[in-house]
Amino acid sequence: MLFFRSKSNFNMKKINLVILLALGAILLSACSGGRASLVNTWPGLAADDVQAYLASGSHIYAVDVVTGKEVWRYPAETDSNIIFYANPILTSDGQLLAGSEGNNHELVSIDPETGKDNWAAPFTGAEGKWVGSPLIFNGAIYAPNSDGFLYILDMNGEQVSDPIELGGALWSAPVTDGSYIYVTALDHRLHIINPATGSADEPIDLGGAIPGSPAVGEGGVYVGSFSSNIEFVSPNGNHEVLTTASNWIWGSPTLDNGTLYYADLDGTLYSLDIASGKQNWDAVKPDGPIVASPLVVGDQIYVVTESGSVLALDPDAKVIWEKAVGGKLYTNPVLSGETLLVAPYKAEFALAAYDATGKQAWTFTPEK
Amino acid sequence: MWETFIIQPMVNLLLWIYDILGHGPQMFGLAIILFTIVIRGITWPLNASQVKGAQAMQELQNDKEWQDIQKKYAKDREKLAQEQMRIYKDRGINPFASCLPTLIQFPIIIGLYQSIIRAMAATPLDMLNLARTVYPFQNVANIIPLNSTFLWMNLGRPEGIPLPFDVSFLPNGFPLLAIVVALTTYVQTKLTMPTTPPNPNDQAASQTAAMSSSMAIYMPLMLGWFALTFASGISVYFITSNLLGIVQYAVTGRANWRNLLPGGNKSTPTKK
Repeated sequence: MLFFRSKSNFNMKKINLVILLALGAILLSACSGGRASLVNTWPGLAADDVQAYLASGSHIYAVDVVTGKEVWRYPAETDSNIIFYANPILTSDGQLLAGSEGNNHELVSIDPETGKDNWAAPFTGAEGKWVGSPLIFNGAIYAPNSDGFLYILDMNGEQVSDPIELGGALWSAPVTDGSYIYVTALDHRLHIINPATGSADEPIDLGGAIPGSPAVGEGGVYVGSFSSNIEFVSPNGNHEVLTTASNWIWGSPTLDNGTLYYADLDGTLYSLDIASGKQNWDAVKPDGPIVASPLVVGDQIYVVTESGSVLALDPDAKVIWEKAVGGKLYTNPVLSGETLLVAPYKAEFALAAYDATGKQAWTFTPEK
Repeated sequence: MWETFIIQPMVNLLLWIYDILGHGPQMFGLAIILFTIVIRGITWPLNASQVKGAQAMQELQNDKEWQDIQKKYAKDREKLAQEQMRIYKDRGINPFASCLPTLIQFPIIIGLYQSIIRAMAATPLDMLNLARTVYPFQNVANIIPLNSTFLWMNLGRPEGIPLPFDVSFLPNGFPLLAIVVALTTYVQTKLTMPTTPPNPNDQAASQTAAMSSSMAIYMPLMLGWFALTFASGISVYFITSNLLGIVQYAVTGRANWRNLLPGGNKSTPTKK
């Protein structure tokens, strides 16, 4: 009897030990924010006049902007090795380009009408995840990757030249002034590339990580960074600090009629008059940190906050309307026709549409 | 609570060490090593009490009075438990003293793993969370993003040395670090095991010994699996921590080196 009891206790101890170790393993697994099967950051969003394209987790969803109904999803079947969250972009020749995180780091081209692949095969030549959107310039795709390379592809997804090694992770879409391509990197540097030669001059250190794209202006670009500065950079590399925010600047500044709108993680929205170098208004602070870029449409400035609010302001910072969307708003708001689209993170729905008066038209939640 | 008392201090300590090291290539790996030394330093008294507690428990197995009650109350478990508790009390032994540091290790490992992932900021959301985690007095804008290169590794990704051929179950290549983690864990666990087998009449001691034997197998396998699967920064922590543990046992003269030899713990029990 004692033998059996002892053996039973011994087995229980072993079972307890295994349970303890398994618990530890599960706990640690649960803590691994970077696992491929989890949606671990906010969605990407793009739109044309008829459809919105939401990059969220395992799929890109095409959503009808009138009805808010799903038109297609890509891929049709869930692939746990793919996570989309970079903003997709539409090209003038009718492609929707989207980069993903996942084992193969795929950059895909989708037909916006059908949701089918355009290319014979996705581009899988990058080592890192796609966070920033590509730039289409002179019939070529300039695709920035978090592996620090700028990949240059033709419109069929074939590499046309060696990628340009820029160093730090590239999280933002390159921009062009028609002559040069400007690429920001997390390693604090702005690169100015001559697309004709594929060469880059000495990069410019802006003193902090740059997760947002520059805004193209007359004679140069405006860049915000984690240094909290807004700098103006000329194509020849000259740069000057125009102003300093109260916290890190994440989103791209938006230039509209000589006014530069930008925001910081303190939740302050700024309006800088470029000509005079003066702020147009005293600090405007909605209800939470601002990661997304402001969107300017006519006389309205749309801004979204981490607290889940979307605000429409006039040029004097007067609130025209304000709506609580829910969740956290980090994704840049996008306009489709006269419909404002916002994609909250961790909300009851994945996409919401508002008309110009702030009335909610519809919300979209993907069906499982 | 977890965020405030575990993650925030750990991330800030890591960033502070990384900053004072000069925040270049290799420095995040060195920061993890220094961080581990600091954590080991803080938990040194706990580890010392674990070693002391384990030693006291081991010595108790050879104690005449202890052995006598095992025989006397072999069929009366309740009375045996009462007598054991009396002896623990008389000798000032806390039977749980050897468990506490192990329990404390778990939140530290999990916290460190989360801190490394947080500090590496691989996605925009991670980066945003990192911005929130940094204490206001730390000026880290100039050091973010961290340089994750250490030796041949990217500390934010699982380690592996590329192989000239594909092995389906080793997608990252040859897992050198995982093997070193498993080996050092095995050595550390074996060094702490008693050199003398338990008294067969002592059920509790037999169970403890069985548990120790299991630990010597499961712990290296589990930590090796962690090293194989998760960011290699955590492996750097495991190896450093294991080596420091081995040093601690050696310095305090409580390392049972014979356990590392085949049949090294088969010596005859001695009676006092």
